[in-house]
Amino acid sequence: MNPYLQLSNVTVSFNGFLALNDLNLDVSKGELRCLIGPNGAGKTTALDLICGKVKQSAGSIVFNDTVLDGLEEHRIARAGIGRKFQVPSVFRELTVSDNLRVACAQHPGVFSNLRPGHRQADDEAVERLAELVGLTDQLKRPAAFLSHGQTQWLEIGMLVAQNAALILMDEPTAGMTAQETRKTADLFLRLKGRHTLIVVEHDMGFVKAIGDVISVMHLGQLLAQGSACEIEANPAVRKAYLGRGGITNA
Amino acid sequence: MMQPKSADPMSRYRPSAELIAILAVCALFVVVPALLNNDYLLNKVARYLVLGMLAMSLSLSWGYAGILNLGQAMSFGLGSYAMAMTLKLKTVPVHTGPQGLPDFMVWNNVAQLPWFWWPFESQTFAILAGIAIPAAVAAALGWFMFRGRVTGVYVAIITLAAMVVLNLVIIDQQQYTGGFNGITDLAQLELFGIAFDAYGRSTYYLVTICMAAALLGAYAFTRTKAGLIIQAIRDHESRVRYFGYDVGAYQIVAFALSAAIAGLAGMLYTIVMEFASPTFLGVQLSLSVVVWCAVGGRQSLLGALLGAILVAGVQGALSESATFLETWTLVMGGLFVLIVLFLPKGLAGLVSSLWALIRQRPFRPFRGVHGIGQTEGGA
Ligand SMILES: Nc1ncnc2c1ncn2[C@@H]1O[C@H](COP(=O)(O)OP(=O)(O)O)[C@@H](O)[C@H]1O
Ligand SMILES: [Mg+2]
Repeated sequence: MNPYLQLSNVTVSFNGFLALNDLNLDVSKGELRCLIGPNGAGKTTALDLICGKVKQSAGSIVFNDTVLDGLEEHRIARAGIGRKFQVPSVFRELTVSDNLRVACAQHPGVFSNLRPGHRQADDEAVERLAELVGLTDQLKRPAAFLSHGQTQWLEIGMLVAQNAALILMDEPTAGMTAQETRKTADLFLRLKGRHTLIVVEHDMGFVKAIGDVISVMHLGQLLAQGSACEIEANPAVRKAYLGRGGITNA
Repeated sequence: MMQPKSADPMSRYRPSAELIAILAVCALFVVVPALLNNDYLLNKVARYLVLGMLAMSLSLSWGYAGILNLGQAMSFGLGSYAMAMTLKLKTVPVHTGPQGLPDFMVWNNVAQLPWFWWPFESQTFAILAGIAIPAAVAAALGWFMFRGRVTGVYVAIITLAAMVVLNLVIIDQQQYTGGFNGITDLAQLELFGIAFDAYGRSTYYLVTICMAAALLGAYAFTRTKAGLIIQAIRDHESRVRYFGYDVGAYQIVAFALSAAIAGLAGMLYTIVMEFASPTFLGVQLSLSVVVWCAVGGRQSLLGALLGAILVAGVQGALSESATFLETWTLVMGGLFVLIVLFLPKGLAGLVSSLWALIRQRPFRPFRGVHGIGQTEGGA
């Protein structure tokens, strides 16, 4: 059986600098994969590549038997891939509820969205989502007024709204308090199984709490893969993190 | 699990403050003729209403979709010429006999009616074309720009350039278009047995009804989900793509809709002014529309409409004296700079902030009890 998501020998070059260098990565359906690695390892670039933000110069990506190479971003999204960005990306001028409404993207066509009343149809979903991410009392405020942690939550809520089969999360707990991080871990564990997730994360505690398999990237390549114990015991991984304060503080 | 609904279910059927304001303004313009017993002034008000419609159409593309169209007057001019062409053809039997040509063609020694004039023998065609041609031109231009992901200042340059080119072609092709002079000496529009004299009430009401319909139509569009998505695109274009929306398609629709409204306004302008002129798609008018829109509030359809009526109205009142007019251009430039710097949402933004302040005040004490830092923070 083919893996659900397969990156085969992908290379991404930024003016000759290889951010991804012949990377291979397989993820199976329903898995929650953690992606770690020192700064500049190419984790964000890998997610950018999957969601179509950057294009590879070599190699191929197959998701759910669809070849994603060269597809436009919205086509990749419609194929079932959602993305949370490292710098929280929400619609700052729109209210929290409108942000969530936009994310309810089950009917993305422009003409189906010209019908009146369509916007109201999402109301119930919006209230449910706001409750899930604890933003019920912020629904009418512009997203620009949210704190950093709340903005992270809003974007996570938007990804739940999008209901993508494969969700790519880039450092979702950055800027969150310990308590917020725990809540995020709980939410991810609930999403696991129904969705396939790839989570880029630095916090090893968080990674251990949610991850099955951990992939370690270094210099644009896959360095190691395995359980948390295996990874921490791996000499190559230790070497990659050397001089960076160790893996826990990566 | 489910909490009791926070919003009362009837609230979604309650008209928004914006809709109430729109209806109030429409009602106000309906009663103007009763208060204004002067045909000349009524014609002027109708003229400003049309310009207001034009600014409102720009608000849709600039304020809502974030597409700064500096060539908005191109759509306006296309609509205006479509109407002028059909009204000109109606004068042919009177001016130059049943087999004749529009008078300016005769003066230019044109022997035969050019092919692109033929369909304008039908008034119905002309009216449809006055809306459909600007929309189609905008859609085509939008297709090139938005498929190619052209944004920001380049959109402004391309739209302005497209308008200037069309303007030059019209001036250059005098024998077919009337050139500099435009198309003058028109017949009156007749619809459903009503003749629309520029200085009559029928024309005023025609303009008011079209304005109200366009305003409500545009408002309805902004309330659909597509209307929400174009605002999300304005805010953060690339983010929208990752939800699966085809950003270019949404931009093309908003751009074309805006052009269609501008085209309708252009047709009405021909009826009100009794001619069409290359100045209707000139740089000066097109940039004025941007200023009106900014002053009134580009993110408010009604704000843009009233901004245009206000600024153009004051300008019209001063235009009797040439010295004043020159000062006025300066004043308008200064006003634009001040508004852009200090009131990015224009007068409409100012009004809505004041309104929010007034409404909020009585509730302050209650909010303090259980909302510190939750409802007030960050604002
Ligand atoms: N747009 C870009 N242009 C040039 N270099 C880039 C660009 N994006 C990322 N890089 C480089 O690619 C490498 C990988 O970056 P990134 O994927 O963001 O790493 P990570 O997310 O693992 O910290 C870094 O060295 C970074 O400087
Ligand atoms: Mg990164």
